[in-house]
Amino acid sequence: PSLTPSDGAALALLWMLLCAPGDAGCHPLTVADLFDRVIRHSGRIHSLSTALYEKHFPPRDNELGRPARKCHTSGMLTPNGKEYAQKIPREELTHLILKLLQAWKEPLSHFNQHIEHHQQLPDDSLSKAKEISNMVHELKTGVEKVTEKMQSMGIISNSLNGMASSEGTGLSISNEANMMSDSDFIHCFRRDSNKVQSYLKILKCRIMPENSC
Amino acid sequence: EKETFSCWWKPGSDGGLPNNYTLFYSKDSEEKIYECPDYLTSGPNSCYFNKNHTNPWTTYIITVMATNEIGSNSSDPQHVDVTSIVQPDAPVNLSLETNTSANMSYLWAKWSPPPLVDASFNSHVYHYELRLKPEEKEEWETVSVGMQTRYEVTSLQAGVKYIVQVRCMLDLGEWSEWSSERSVQIPKERLPPEKPRIIKCRSPEKETFTCWWKPAVDGGLSTNHTLLYSKEGEEKVYECPDYKTAGPNSCYFDKKHTSFWTIYNITVRATNEMGSNVSDPHYVDVTYIVQPDPPVNITLELKMSIKRKPYLVLTWSPPPLADVRSGWLTLEYELRLKPEEGEEWETIFVGQQTQYRTFSLYPGKRYIVQIHCKPDHHGLWSEWSPEMYIDIPTDFRVKDMVVWIIVGVLSSLVCLIMSWIMIMKGYRMMAFILPPVPGPKIKGIDTHLLETGKSEELLSALGCHGFPPTSDCEELLIEYLEVEDSEDQQLMPSHDTPSKNTKITLKETDSDSGRGSCDSPSLLPVKCKESHSIPSVLQTQDVRAKEKKGGKGIWETQCMASEQKTQPCNSESIKSCTWLAAQLPSNQAAMFAYHSTVEAFKITLNTTNVNTSPVFVGNEENRQSLYPIAETVYDDVEKISEMEYSRTDQTTVQVRKNQQNDKSPFLNPKLMDYVEVHKVRQDEEPTLLLKHKENTGKTEKCTVPGTSKEYTKVSTVVDHHILVLLPDQRNQNTPVSQEPVAETSQNPQQSQAEKNTSYSTTAPSNSRRDTSGSDYMDPSSFMPSFK
Repeated sequence: PSLTPSDGAALALLWMLLCAPGDAGCHPLTVADLFDRVIRHSGRIHSLSTALYEKHFPPRDNELGRPARKCHTSGMLTPNGKEYAQKIPREELTHLILKLLQAWKEPLSHFNQHIEHHQQLPDDSLSKAKEISNMVHELKTGVEKVTEKMQSMGIISNSLNGMASSEGTGLSISNEANMMSDSDFIHCFRRDSNKVQSYLKILKCRIMPENSC
Repeated sequence: EKETFSCWWKPGSDGGLPNNYTLFYSKDSEEKIYECPDYLTSGPNSCYFNKNHTNPWTTYIITVMATNEIGSNSSDPQHVDVTSIVQPDAPVNLSLETNTSANMSYLWAKWSPPPLVDASFNSHVYHYELRLKPEEKEEWETVSVGMQTRYEVTSLQAGVKYIVQVRCMLDLGEWSEWSSERSVQIPKERLPPEKPRIIKCRSPEKETFTCWWKPAVDGGLSTNHTLLYSKEGEEKVYECPDYKTAGPNSCYFDKKHTSFWTIYNITVRATNEMGSNVSDPHYVDVTYIVQPDPPVNITLELKMSIKRKPYLVLTWSPPPLADVRSGWLTLEYELRLKPEEGEEWETIFVGQQTQYRTFSLYPGKRYIVQIHCKPDHHGLWSEWSPEMYIDIPTDFRVKDMVVWIIVGVLSSLVCLIMSWIMIMKGYRMMAFILPPVPGPKIKGIDTHLLETGKSEELLSALGCHGFPPTSDCEELLIEYLEVEDSEDQQLMPSHDTPSKNTKITLKETDSDSGRGSCDSPSLLPVKCKESHSIPSVLQTQDVRAKEKKGGKGIWETQCMASEQKTQPCNSESIKSCTWLAAQLPSNQAAMFAYHSTVEAFKITLNTTNVNTSPVFVGNEENRQSLYPIAETVYDDVEKISEMEYSRTDQTTVQVRKNQQNDKSPFLNPKLMDYVEVHKVRQDEEPTLLLKHKENTGKTEKCTVPGTSKEYTKVSTVVDHHILVLLPDQRNQNTPVSQEPVAETSQNPQQSQAEKNTSYSTTAPSNSRRDTSGSDYMDPSSFMPSFK
């Protein structure tokens, strides 16, 4: 499933609609709605990256374990299972999500420039790849909004210290990303997009267990 | 053993009688013939030579003689050298041993020579032969062993079961039988195991996973398998934590050992005595190998929508192991259904919801429903859930049924009734629906007769009984009438002789109708002849008609009818009637000879027809043409003339208007009121001229004719060629009237002669004919039976 730029624009507009509860004539989105949207958005990102990965950088079964397949985000300590994801505090989880998204911001833009020159990909795949970086940016915005909402609603505490550090690590990490091959790049990104999606889902069901969980 | 020997013989055909066999032998160096010493030891048909009789160095010549009552016969002599016939027993105690060393297997075979009765003769030296083959094969491999009683076989295949046999021979003798078989299994090669292979790894709930492998082909040795794995980014190699839970040749990774977003490097190692072998590595990221169990708790519920259409509500639950509540694993569902006898499944992707409504169901069918699920990201579909069946009830409202039944019954009833009515009153209905085309409504005229062309019958139908008219018709015969000016007046000149008046000289026919000639409607439209007298004549006619018997009335009505029907010349038509009815002047009862009503029609037509001109008088031959004309007279006078024109017949007599000596063929209908008949001379063609009536004073067409007497009324045509005209009643002059009588009286002679000629000539020429001479012809004159 591909996402047209208009969808992104719509999504961006969506964030504009967020308003404080006190505004008149405003239809505030609930946290649940916001979560649904970001989850769906992340799902789309993951689908796109999977499509790109399978089509142009297909994994031959035994090559998965090729050496040096190391993602630049591998250093990040992320829960690699359900239990861990459920155990860590919500703030940390949220922070992780944002961190991940942040970590990919730069590498994706570099990747865009990179593949343009390569011209190995057909046009539609090229456009898909370009879309991804936009979508990631939107997703990050969306998650930030959700975070704000949650913080305003008191669901999570207002600890921003985690955010600052993410900025710093992001720069160093992105340098590593430039060294990766295209195939690894997509592979790593696909995985991380899945991580983000899963964390969001877990987070949502932790916060609002009754809403379709 | 070369010390005894036996001979066996085969009997020949015994000839039906018991035979006695005797064996005789002699030695090559001797002459003496001996008989077999022992017939019994070796069995039937044998002879056993024991040690005493056996000499290995001599050749025996042996014959067998068969004797029966009739005679005897002996075999060919057989030279036997004991040495050469020696066949020892097979060797015994064959034993086999295998020896495998350094991947080579050897087979040792050992045996003993055949036992001897007398152990003292163990000096015999045997030669041995060995053969072996793999168990499944057919072909033996034979090896000559020599004189030893043991042998080693080297070229053997590992893992094959061999069968071995030996046999022996003495010097020059025969080989013994093969010994009994012995088999031996060559052990297989001892090899390290083949490479095992990992088949698949699956996670049912995204929390644990299992890997299965295919064991290696073992070389007959027991093989041990171990699974080893390492994780992405780590060096350490672990062994499978659980070989048992998931069954043989599997490894189960529980929650603790399962990490996501990590690539596992998994291998299986097979080990046996000879070595081990490792499978190819299998890389797996557990996130993407999730294949859930099928959904459970599937319920199907049939509900009725507002429009009485059934729809199906399916609900289900995720598989029990899948933890959907935490959001960790999100499942998407897909269901499929088909009618039981259908072939193709209809697959519907449902998404993440756990209930679905489907409306596209056919009533009365049984549906099979199945559901399966998969993780929302890259993963594998589960197996389909067990089949669920649901019967869709037929959507039948009792009320609908009743309505349809009632409708059906009613319509069938209606149909029955309608058909019954149709049957009963079919023709009436048909008549009602499709009114028949009216035929010629000439009373007394049978169209059939017209067609068949039988004048007699026709005329009789017209009421002309007999032709010439007989006494019966005399009544109808109307004498000349004195017609007065006024139409009102009725002429009663001959009333006193009603019988005369009504007499009509018609041939008596067998026709049934009693109608007189005057009945013929054809007469009605006879030209409005002429003059004022005519109407009166007509009227008299009517009167007469009344006097007539029977058919008069008809005629009368017809007369009247014609009056109405004709156009301006109503009076003329009346005239015509009267004219017809009018009696002939003078004494004679005018016999009306009717040629054909149709012809009369014609003539009348012409007079009455304002715009037409010629009048065709057709003769008998042209009945058909006339006939339609006659018909049309009633309807449309004008048309008739047209038709007449169109049906120019050979035999028509054109009645031309006599325009004062103008022999123009066309009549001026307006001016023409009558027909002037010219006398028919013998050598002249009879013609009818329409006399131009000069009514200077009268512009009316239908003026009552004056006193001029002209025979313009054609009454009928007799015998197909005689035109009968009545005198013009306007002319009261008896001499005038007589004149034609006289004329007509002559006419018969003429007519007869002239008939054919005149009319025959007229036939082809189709030209106008002028009637010359008398104004009319007295039909009675033509009648042979005229009085």
